[in-house]
Order: sequence, then structure tokens, then C-alpha cells
Amino acid sequence: MDLVRDLEALAEGARQSIAQAPDDRTLEELRVRYLGKKGEISAVLRGMGQLAAEERPRVGEVANRVRDEVDALLVRARQRIEDSRLEKELQGARIDVTLPGRRLLPRGHRHPVTRTTEEIVAIFSRLGYEVASGPEIELDWYNFEALNIPADHPARDMQDTFYVDESALGRVGGEGAVLLRTHTSPIQIRAMKRAGAPPVRVVAPGRVYRSDYDQTHTPMFHQVEGICVGPGITFADLKGTLAAFARAFFGAGTRTRVRPSYFPFVEPGAEVDVSCSICGGVGNRSGARCGTCKGTGWLEVLGSGMVHPKVLENVGFDPSAVTGFAFGMGVERMAMLKYGIGDLRLFYENDLRFLEQF
Amino acid sequence: MRISIAWLSAYVPLPPPAELARRLTDVGLEVEAVERVGASLDGVVAARILSSERHPNAEKLAVCQVEAGAGTVQVVCGATNWKVGDVVPLATPGTRMPAGHRIDRASLRGVDSHGMLCSAKELGLDDDASGLLLLPADAVPGTPLAQVLGIEDVVLEVNVTPNRPDALSHLGIAREVAAATGAEVSYPEAGLRQEAPAASTALRVTVEAPDRCFRYAARVIEGVRIGPSPAWLARRLEACGVRAISNVVDATNFVLLERGQPLHAFDLDKVAGAEIVVRMARAGEKMTTLDGVVRTLSPDDLVIADRERASALAGVMGGGDSEISAGTSRVLLESAWFEPTGVRRTARRHGLHTEASHRFERGVDPEGVVAALDRCAAMIATLSGGTVRRGAVDAHPHRRKPVEVTLPWTRPGEILGMPVSRKEARAALQSLGFELTSTGPRNGTFRVPSWRLDVTREEDLIEEIVRLRGYDAIPETLPVIVSDTPAPSLEAVVTERVRQALEGAGFSEAVNFSFVAPGDLTPLGAGSGAGIPLKNPISADLAVMRGSLVPSLLKVLAYNRRQRVEEVRIYEIASTYHPRAADATDDTPAREELRLAGVASGRRHPVGWSAGGDPLDFHDVKGALEPLLETLGIEGVRWVPGGASWLHPRSAATLSWPGGGAEPVVLGVVGEVHPRVAAAFDLPRGVFAFDLSFAALAAAARPVRGHADVPRFPAVLRDLAVVVANEVEARAVLEGVRAEPLVEEVTLFDVYRGAPIPEGRKNLAMAIRYRAGDRTLTDSEADAAHARIVARLQADLGADLRG
Repeated sequence: MDLVRDLEALAEGARQSIAQAPDDRTLEELRVRYLGKKGEISAVLRGMGQLAAEERPRVGEVANRVRDEVDALLVRARQRIEDSRLEKELQGARIDVTLPGRRLLPRGHRHPVTRTTEEIVAIFSRLGYEVASGPEIELDWYNFEALNIPADHPARDMQDTFYVDESALGRVGGEGAVLLRTHTSPIQIRAMKRAGAPPVRVVAPGRVYRSDYDQTHTPMFHQVEGICVGPGITFADLKGTLAAFARAFFGAGTRTRVRPSYFPFVEPGAEVDVSCSICGGVGNRSGARCGTCKGTGWLEVLGSGMVHPKVLENVGFDPSAVTGFAFGMGVERMAMLKYGIGDLRLFYENDLRFLEQF
Repeated sequence: MRISIAWLSAYVPLPPPAELARRLTDVGLEVEAVERVGASLDGVVAARILSSERHPNAEKLAVCQVEAGAGTVQVVCGATNWKVGDVVPLATPGTRMPAGHRIDRASLRGVDSHGMLCSAKELGLDDDASGLLLLPADAVPGTPLAQVLGIEDVVLEVNVTPNRPDALSHLGIAREVAAATGAEVSYPEAGLRQEAPAASTALRVTVEAPDRCFRYAARVIEGVRIGPSPAWLARRLEACGVRAISNVVDATNFVLLERGQPLHAFDLDKVAGAEIVVRMARAGEKMTTLDGVVRTLSPDDLVIADRERASALAGVMGGGDSEISAGTSRVLLESAWFEPTGVRRTARRHGLHTEASHRFERGVDPEGVVAALDRCAAMIATLSGGTVRRGAVDAHPHRRKPVEVTLPWTRPGEILGMPVSRKEARAALQSLGFELTSTGPRNGTFRVPSWRLDVTREEDLIEEIVRLRGYDAIPETLPVIVSDTPAPSLEAVVTERVRQALEGAGFSEAVNFSFVAPGDLTPLGAGSGAGIPLKNPISADLAVMRGSLVPSLLKVLAYNRRQRVEEVRIYEIASTYHPRAADATDDTPAREELRLAGVASGRRHPVGWSAGGDPLDFHDVKGALEPLLETLGIEGVRWVPGGASWLHPRSAATLSWPGGGAEPVVLGVVGEVHPRVAAAFDLPRGVFAFDLSFAALAAAARPVRGHADVPRFPAVLRDLAVVVANEVEARAVLEGVRAEPLVEEVTLFDVYRGAPIPEGRKNLAMAIRYRAGDRTLTDSEADAAHARIVARLQADLGADLRG
């Protein structure tokens, strides 16, 4: 059987040439040569027409076997070539992993005042406080009167006030002076009036203004105010809340100290100190006096107290039925302590070389 | 308030200074500083000169052997006013002299000298440089000089809060110390000796303004000789920061610092008609105050006048006309109680803040007026050799009733959150001078001491109890409040998403002062808000509450460029300030509008090893704002050409959101800053900015949205390139494509101008994805859709299909 012999010879030739094929292109040429429509197997099969009918099945069978074998050989050979190429690449030149990463955009940074405000607010939010806000251009009544700071009261000296040119506001007279709020405390008043009835638990961040500009003061700065009013709220609750806050903000080991102080809208009033976040409350660092707490081990960070009954009366609450505490803190000071920022002016220069560190 | 410990110790036994400072701070009188007086004399001791001989090599020097406590030392000395046996100051080696240099062991012309014998001038004590300061012969050698001179003292700087005028004196502090330590205050005796005739024959007092002057008491001291005060008195005053002037004036200041009662001494011979009238000033009336300033008075100013004219601003400052002078021999001494708010108004009106006004406006002890008068009169007599006329002239139009406050015994515990027994409450209050006038099972009533004008209600009593007991005793608890857990507000959610979107786009946050210079707002034109001017700005640069955030940001950009920081992307979220609408009904005096603004300039991408540094442009800023709108769920925003007058007219857009109402909502503007505006801020071209209304963004935001199902059927992709006139907006082409319902998405991937595209036209290349939601789309369906799009673009926009 010539055709069968031809096929066997063809198969033997294919085995050798496929085994020696060096690359994909040669394999592709071999595939066309053997398996293509005009290839050698097809040519053999075309010759089958001249065979006797009884021989055709046998030749056909051999032809199919050879075709399958060549096909399989090609697949294996491709895999072999792919493997060796991959192997070569895997052993080849390294990329330079030390080249800087490709960045299409710089990363944006949040201002440290914002960051710190968010941290403070988040802590009180977890304690169940709602966030409140209020106007920065404020009526004297909200900023002073309602907070038990009447006109001609020496307590007004504690806060140098900016007044607004009322002619620019187009307002009708008789509503009292208009000023830039000197603290976030008027938000207490607005929040209690808005709530209408206790309990009220709000935390209120915002910009505040005092006419003072030197090394340690800027005419605008930020405060966070908090108030918690309800039946049976005590000074012990104030202490517990602010101690919890201090631990959450400055770290678990932070201690707090409460001492008597005076703010007209609270009674009793208290100043809250926390153990120095820089020296850990010992007053010195590697032998030298701690500059942050001036060697005292304590930092003054919060003003607070029990809401003054007059303030409760001013918003229509009954001081014999409800009590509450209020507190306030300066955001810049908290940021300076937390991030070790030494110079207040950095906050308002907005130098990107500073901002990009946050 | 400066408190001298040496002085204070005369009235109450004291713990050591550091302990005292802590105790005072604990009761609410914060000690801000503890200062040692005489510290400049550290290292200087008394030394007795035992023997001396001529210096072998220097005629004018003596070599002395001196005893200085720790044995005998040798000192070389150039002065001559001493003799063997004298006791003089020795600056021992290591002493830092007031002039700044240090005394060391030295060899003077070959002779060792262990320190320096000093003159008063060398020690900074006075100007006497004529020779060594000779000390009392009984001074013990080795004793620190400050101790020998009796100037050793410690001064506490006490921060007295405005509610505690009673603590603005040494006796006031002594009362607090006594209450805190359980000691007793020993009040000094006035020691007043009076002689006929009666003061009332020499002086008449009329109070014409009883609402402003509750009491006016005066004494007359005659035969006074004005001279310097003795050293002990001058030292007391100087320790408290008050300059010694003359015996009479110093006596008034001493009693002021002792008792907190301001006093004023007049030269009685200069008081016209020997008559004092306490009255309101007449409009336009003038007087010269002690500081030499001629003041025009207001009818709201209370004055102390004689028969003719005003001679003192009551409670604030005396007048030049009746001032004590070297020739004064008859003194009129005033002690009064002036109404606090009136004193404060006058002091502020005239820009004055004095030791007297500071105390009067806070409230002095109404019952201490006459005691202070007597004390001071006695002192003046002693110091000046004068005699006090019998009796005080005491006009007392307004008698004060003692204040009583009732305390429910359970109330302290309720407020403080810890048990406070009745006994504890009573003991604390009584130690502070409160008198229990009646008591029952539920309440106790206390008479408030006359000097505690700040105590009027039960909360005030509770504060007294707790500050004495110590805040440390109060436990720490957390409040129990039943309330809803508040959900974060829409504003908070929007703020956070905006910040994250901008940070992702490379924008950092700036925080600027709310006030700007009026000129900062002008380049932006009228439409951006002129802001709200302040009445009393701190400087011209910070005079107007800004009507726009943009100028501040442009200044930050310029500032950073000056620092050679050229890649700048910054934003700010803050209020702008505007007159409120005429029909506004709320009780906010101005309209405050929260805005979100940003500026950017520099390169599109950070310069790196694989990317270049093309300057950023409009579409980079737009590319920052689009994700911001997406994250807020604001859909359908139209970018309408043209922004604001401060933006480049051809390179700016207004963001318009269709919203639900009849009119579209303007979210804000974005574009290249107008070249002239940029120049006004010293900025080059290529600065881009946006200014959006935060309220409009929040109103349009849908931070929680539904979702569409993931497609189940395959898509067909086709590219399309069309050539249109340059003026045709990309939006029109894209909308034309999207009008075909089978289009799921179209991506514009190239915009090309130039050959072979004809002049004035551009080629837009797009990839279009067709999909049907309910079946597999066939090629022929996609082809038909594609053809419809081409036909529409040709018909509507004059587009040519390109190859």
C-alpha cells in the first residue's frame, strides 16, 4: 500500500522537523505544510479517489491517525517553545524596582485644623453628640447676653470683640450690636432653642474671632464647643466625659485634672488640664525641662463647667428640673499639642510644604 | 495681681511658696508664676573685713582678708570708704552681676582675689558708686545679702478672674489661704488717732448722683509733710509692681493693695470751696487727668468736683489740679463705692484702665469703705507727721442690705454627682465667711459676706463648697441620657465626599482668615460680593469679611509661588458673608453662604522619569470636579460656556444643574482666572479656579442611589469618527450619539485638528458600545443604529463621516 507507506514516511518526517523546530514561526510553517488545506496530508487524501473502495477505510484511518499525531505534536511543540521562552524571560534582565512609582496626580492633604476638628468631633459623635453649627456674624444677645455676660460686665474684657459695620447689613436697628462671635458658645444657645426641650447633646465646631494678633494669638481661630443638658446631669458626668475625651484624643494613658475657674455661662466653672502629651506628664524630657508644659507636667486644654442656671432660663429651660455641662476647647492648641506644631502662624500661611505633611 | 509672700505672711500663716501656689490654684486663684525677688543678688553675701594691707604691685589697691561664713578668703579691693571691721557685700566666685558679667577667681596684678567687694551701684540697688555698700555691723558674715537687706521675697502672679474682685488684695488672698488651710486671718489694726476739730467743719460732701455713687467717705489730715516713703513701704509696693512716689500717695496704694479699696488723696487747699460734689459731668466739660491728658467728658461720666470744676474721674483717675504735690500740707482722703458698670463705661470711653477702675468695675467690698479710709488716714498721719481731724465726712445715700441665699441640703450632691453632707457644706461656707442665719431639715440660709458680690444663688454656694473641697474629690461618671443616635447630617456626608474627591484629584486644603483687605475683593468685580466691613478691624489687611473665597486662595497661590512651590492645587470650604435678604425672617444678622472654591496652577502631572510636564488646563480642573459630582450623585450637570467676570471669557464654564424646578440651578463657575485678575494678584497666566455653592451641591446631592443590574447580554462595539466645524460643541455630538436608544456608552477618545482635516473643522473619534437589555444584539441591528447616528449627526451638526 503506497499511500499508507507515504503517510508513515510523512509522519516520520513531521516528527523530526517538529521536534527540531526552533520557534513559533517554523511551527506555523510546519502546520501549513502538513495539516493545511494544501498540505501534505490533504494531498494524500486527495489521492484516495483512485483507490479501490475497500482500501479507502484503512488508508483513511491511517491518514486520520497521522493527522491527529501531527496536530498533537504541534501542540506539544508550541508548549515547549513557550516554556523555554518564558524560562529565558524569567532568568533574564530585572526591572529597576527602585525607580519611583508613576504618579499621575499628587495626593491632596487635609488642613491640620480640619483634621483635628474631625478627630474631636468624631470622639463626641461616638458618645452620642450631634453636630451643630451657627452663624459667625452673630448678635450680641447670643454671643454675650444669653451667656450671662451683660453689657458693661468686666467678663467682656476676656474676649476682645470685633464689631460689624451694621450699615452694610441693611438691618433695622434695635436688635443689639452685631459682632463676630468670640467663641462657639452662642451655638449652645441656638442649639438649645432649636431643640426646644431637653435632652440636648451637641458638639459644635467653628471659626471664632478675637481682636488679638501676636506670637500666640491669631485674630481668627477655631473652637469646638460641647453641651450636654438633661435631667440629673452632674459635675461628675462632666469630669467623666472630658476624661474619656482626653484619653481618646491624646492616648489611653492621659490623666486629667480639673480646677476651679470662671466662665460667666457656667457655675461651677472648671479648667481642665491633661497630662502633658509631650513629656508624658513628668515635666521633663531626658533631664531637660519640658518646654511644652513648662515643666509642670500639665497642659491647660479645656474650659468647662455646669451650665449656669441663667443660661438655662434664657433658653426657656427650667434649672430646677434640668442640669447640664458645657465645655470648649481651641482646635489650634489641640493640633499643636497632638502634632507637635510649635508656631501658630503655620496654620494660616497655607504653605504647601507644611500642609503636605498632614 | 502680684502678691508678695513677705507681705501676705503678716496676715496669715503660710505654707512654703510652691505649696501655697498649688493651694491657691486649687481653690480657683490660679498662680501663673512664682518669682523670687532679690534673685539678682544670688551669690552675694555679707563679709566682714578682718585685715588689710597695701597691694604689693598697685598703690590704689588693698588686699583684704574677709570672713564670709565659710572661712576667711582673700579679696583685692579698690575702694577706700571702709575700715577694718566693716561688713560689706562680697560677690563670691560664680556670681552673675546685674550688669551681666561673672565674678571669677582672678589674679589682680599677681595677687589672688576670691570674689569682689561691691558698691550699691554694682549690685543694681541704687546709683551710689562712691564706695562699698556698708552693711549693718551686726550682719552675720556669710548671710545672703538679700536677707541682710530684708528684700528677700517671693511674688506670686495670681490670675484673678473677673468674678473675684475680693481677691484683688493681700487681705483677700489671706482670707482664701485661711479658708483653704484652716488658719485664721489677723487683720491689721488701723491705729487711728483723731484730733479735734471735726473734719466736717473743714469739708462738705454732696452726692448728687446716688445711682452712681453709693457711698462717699472722706477724712482730713492736716500738717502733712510730703516726703519719700520709708524703705519697707517702697519695697512692698515695688514687689507688687507699683512705683513709690511719696508718703501720702504710697499710703493710698498700700491700702489699695492691702484691702482692695481704691483711695484717692486730694490737696485740700486746691479743692475750691472745700466742697466735694459727686455729680455727673456736664456735656462738653473738660478736665485734665493725672496723666496730663485734657479730656472732654460725657454726661455719663461721674466726676468728683469741687465748687468750680471736676477734679477727678470718679473711680478711674484723679485730676492734675488737685494733685498731691511737694507743698501739700492738708490732705483730703477719699474712700468711696462707685457703681461698677458706670466706672467701666467711663474707663472704656476714655481708654483708661487703672488699678482703681479695675477694682471698682468688678466691685469692691461695700462694707470695707470706711475701714480702708481709717487705715489709710492713720498711715498718712504716721508717715507724714500729720494729724487726722476727728470723724469722717460720710455721705451714704445707698445702703446695702446683706444678701442671703438658701441652699437645699441635697442640692450640692445633685449638681456635683457625689454625696456632700450638710456638715461639710456648712463648714466649707463658714470658713469662707458665710454665716448660717437659719437652718432646717431641708434647707440652710447663709448670709453672704459683704466682699463676695459674685454670690447670689444656690449654684454659687455649691461652687464655693466644691472649690474648697477640691474638684479632685468628684468622681468620674458618664451621663445617662436616653436619646436617639443621631445620623450624620447631609452636610457632613457631602463635606466628606467633597474632600475625598478633591484630595484624590490632588487638591490640598487651605484655611484662610475670613477677613481680607477691601482691595482683595475688587479685582473680582461686583458680582462676587463686596463682603461685610468690620467696625474695628485689627488691620487694614483684615478689614472685610470676605464675599468670596477666591481672593484668599489666589493669595495663597501667589505666596506658594514666591516660596518656589509651583505645583499648587488648593481648595477651601468656608462661609462667605453677605447682607441678608430683605425678607429674611431668621435671627441671623448676616447671610452666610458656605462655598467650595479651589485654584490650581502648575503641571498636569508631577514631573517624573516617565512623564512630561505639560501645564494643566481647564479640562484638568474639570476632571477633578466630575468625580466630585459623581460621588455626590449629581447627574445631568451642563457645562455652559462662560463663567464669571473674573474668569477668562473664552475659557470658563458655568455648572448648571437641571434639578427639579422650573429654572436650572447654578452650582458654580470654573475656568481660567482672567489674565487681568491674575495680574492683580501677581500671578502669571494659566491659573484655573472654581467657585461652587456648597448649599447648591448639598441640595442636588443624592449620596445614596439605586443601582442598575449588571448587563446579561453581550454588547456590540463600533468606532465612529466624524468631522465637524470647530464651533460644534463636543456635548452636541455626544448627545447626538446618545439619542440612539441602543447606545449604552460612548467614549470620546480623540479630538484632532490639522491636515488632512480641512481648516476650521475637527475630527472627533468615538468608541460606541451598543447593547440591548433584553436580548443579544445582532450585527445588523447595531449597523442600523450606527447608520441612524451618522445620519442624525450629518443632518443636525453638518458632520462628515470620516474613513
